[in-house]
Amino acid sequence: MSEPRSTPSSPEPDALDFWPDQLAWRPVSDRLVALELLRLVIGLIILLAICGIALLITGSTWALIAAGALGLLTGIRAFVAVRAVRSYGYAERERDLLVRHGRMIRRLSIVPYARMQFVDVTAGPLERMFNLANVQLHTAAAASDALIPGLDPVEARRLRDRLAQLGEDRGEGL
Amino acid sequence: MTPTPTAAPVIPLKRLHPLSPVLKGLRLLAIGVAAISLRGLQELGFWNWLLAVGLLLVVTLIYSVLLWRSTGYEVIGRELRIHEGLLSRRVRAVPLERVQAIEVVQPMLARPAGLAELKLDVAGAQRAEAPLAYLPLADAVALRTRLLTLSAGPERADELTARQPAEQVVEQEEPHLVRVNNREVAVSQFLTPPVMFAPLAVLYIIGQLVYNQNFGFFSVASMLTALFGTIGAPTMRMLNFWNFRLTLARDPKHGPQLRIRHGLLETRSQTVAVRRVQSLTITWPLLWRRKRWQRITLAVAGQTSGGQDGRTETDRLLPVAGNEQARTIVPLVLPGVDLAALPMTLVPPQARWLAPLRRNVLAAGLTEQVFGTVDGVLTRQLTLVPYQRIQSVRVTQGPLQRRLRLATVHVDIAGGVPASAQHRALTQAYEWADELTARARAARAADAGSGPDVDAGVDPDADAVANAEPAPRLSAGQPAAGEPVAGEPAAGERATGTGDSAGDHERANDAG
Repeated sequence: MSEPRSTPSSPEPDALDFWPDQLAWRPVSDRLVALELLRLVIGLIILLAICGIALLITGSTWALIAAGALGLLTGIRAFVAVRAVRSYGYAERERDLLVRHGRMIRRLSIVPYARMQFVDVTAGPLERMFNLANVQLHTAAAASDALIPGLDPVEARRLRDRLAQLGEDRGEGL
Repeated sequence: MTPTPTAAPVIPLKRLHPLSPVLKGLRLLAIGVAAISLRGLQELGFWNWLLAVGLLLVVTLIYSVLLWRSTGYEVIGRELRIHEGLLSRRVRAVPLERVQAIEVVQPMLARPAGLAELKLDVAGAQRAEAPLAYLPLADAVALRTRLLTLSAGPERADELTARQPAEQVVEQEEPHLVRVNNREVAVSQFLTPPVMFAPLAVLYIIGQLVYNQNFGFFSVASMLTALFGTIGAPTMRMLNFWNFRLTLARDPKHGPQLRIRHGLLETRSQTVAVRRVQSLTITWPLLWRRKRWQRITLAVAGQTSGGQDGRTETDRLLPVAGNEQARTIVPLVLPGVDLAALPMTLVPPQARWLAPLRRNVLAAGLTEQVFGTVDGVLTRQLTLVPYQRIQSVRVTQGPLQRRLRLATVHVDIAGGVPASAQHRALTQAYEWADELTARARAARAADAGSGPDVDAGVDPDADAVANAEPAPRLSAGQPAAGEPVAGEPAAGERATGTGDSAGDHERANDAG
């Protein structure tokens, strides 16, 4: 969990490998991949069921074509989702938290701890099934985007406590 | 909320002015009459109709009076409490350290009675929180001064209360720094594309009337409404910005405050502490360029610049200004910023593939105090964000940007659109992101070190700290489903957050 992951896959300097000498990027849990796939499968099952009902009622072959298209689409989405999960990474620096994600559109957020308004730890039913939790840092700016999904609860708690600790330190500093 | 022994009310419970139910009732009545008189007048006959209106008048008046009796406000510690509601009572507590700006509005109807409405801009709130309508004008102004003093910090508030009782706090008039020429306001507000096309529309109507005999009454009517529609909005803006005056009050205790007064039919007077200004935007609309005019707006944490709800109309610093005027006014809000000497650099040449029209427009740069970006081909916009107001920094890169080795740097601020420097060279983007975080940190530290103005930089959150409240509110230990978000402003901010990030997606997609 805690070992820094390097991305040797890309030969050219990666835009998301930010200051590689200073930073130890941490990945999110691999179970998030399974969770994302399960989400897609559930969605697919519901849509296929609708197609099946349509086939039973109308008997049109279009329902079959739609089902095939949905299957293909879900396949593509699964591919994208797996890559998206793998692209998530976060790093804690002395004074700010860095979160990066995205393959097609790459994003990197730098949020100073001093700007932290509150921290959300959330876990939906599916996340709890996979024993995962999301941590999100909120600042006063609505556009700030520091969501770390799919963390091990232990790690989520550690991160939350660390952020709380930093918040308290800051309070004393003022 | 406040640990200090200031639990005793600073301002005891007060009611609004007794005339306010009448004024509010009139508004309700107008709606009611409009609703029944469409068909009512024909079906009921005149006397019955009059009876119905009278009945409605009595009912609305009684309702308004009852509402008035249950409405009141008080200040306890550093909290403004507003009691309201008839059936379901509600007490809204507004933490005063979160107040960003206060506006005194005098609608046309309230003016003869000498009444005014007080609107508070609170950080994290979607729209103007808790309008207190109506108070006598003098009371409204005095209350605003009190609230602003209280919002500035506890020690200063205590000091002030010790020295002068509430009644003696009067707002001192200062000479106007800027008085915008009414003629310029009128011309500038009508120099908008829809209005410029209005004569064409009139010509079209006349042409139709002359050559097309079948042209019906309804089409003429609809065209006329469209015409009034286009002229209506600029007229409203013109009336709103009439008599625009800007004053800078240099109070040694509060720091400088901007006082903005404007309006012909409805007069508005807004007070914003300079340290609450999150960003400054200067806009050059296409049709204003020949006149060398520009518009200066500022973003405050309380006002989300959505644009739909008309809030953007009030956050103007100057509705129209010449080059020289802008150069003298901007340094008052952002000290040390010289508009004529901003170190802006254009985007690298490969950006022309992504933004062919804007390759000579898109620019950005870091000065000593602010981060600035320029965008827009027809309507050019310069956004300046002081370093101590930066909330977070983001770097995004779309697939095409990746191929061209470009990236976009976003600087997020509380209550405003993020300032984005699009299509910068990759290495520069990362250098800037690093530099911006470092400078923001330095600016925050400098702000925190500069004595009583602790809450100057770290806008809403440092206030919370000053209040001995644990600033980062954490959710409970174990992660649970649908765990509620700790912290009141979350919902609103979250809502705007999705909107904003959607915009970012759009921008990123646009780029890629």
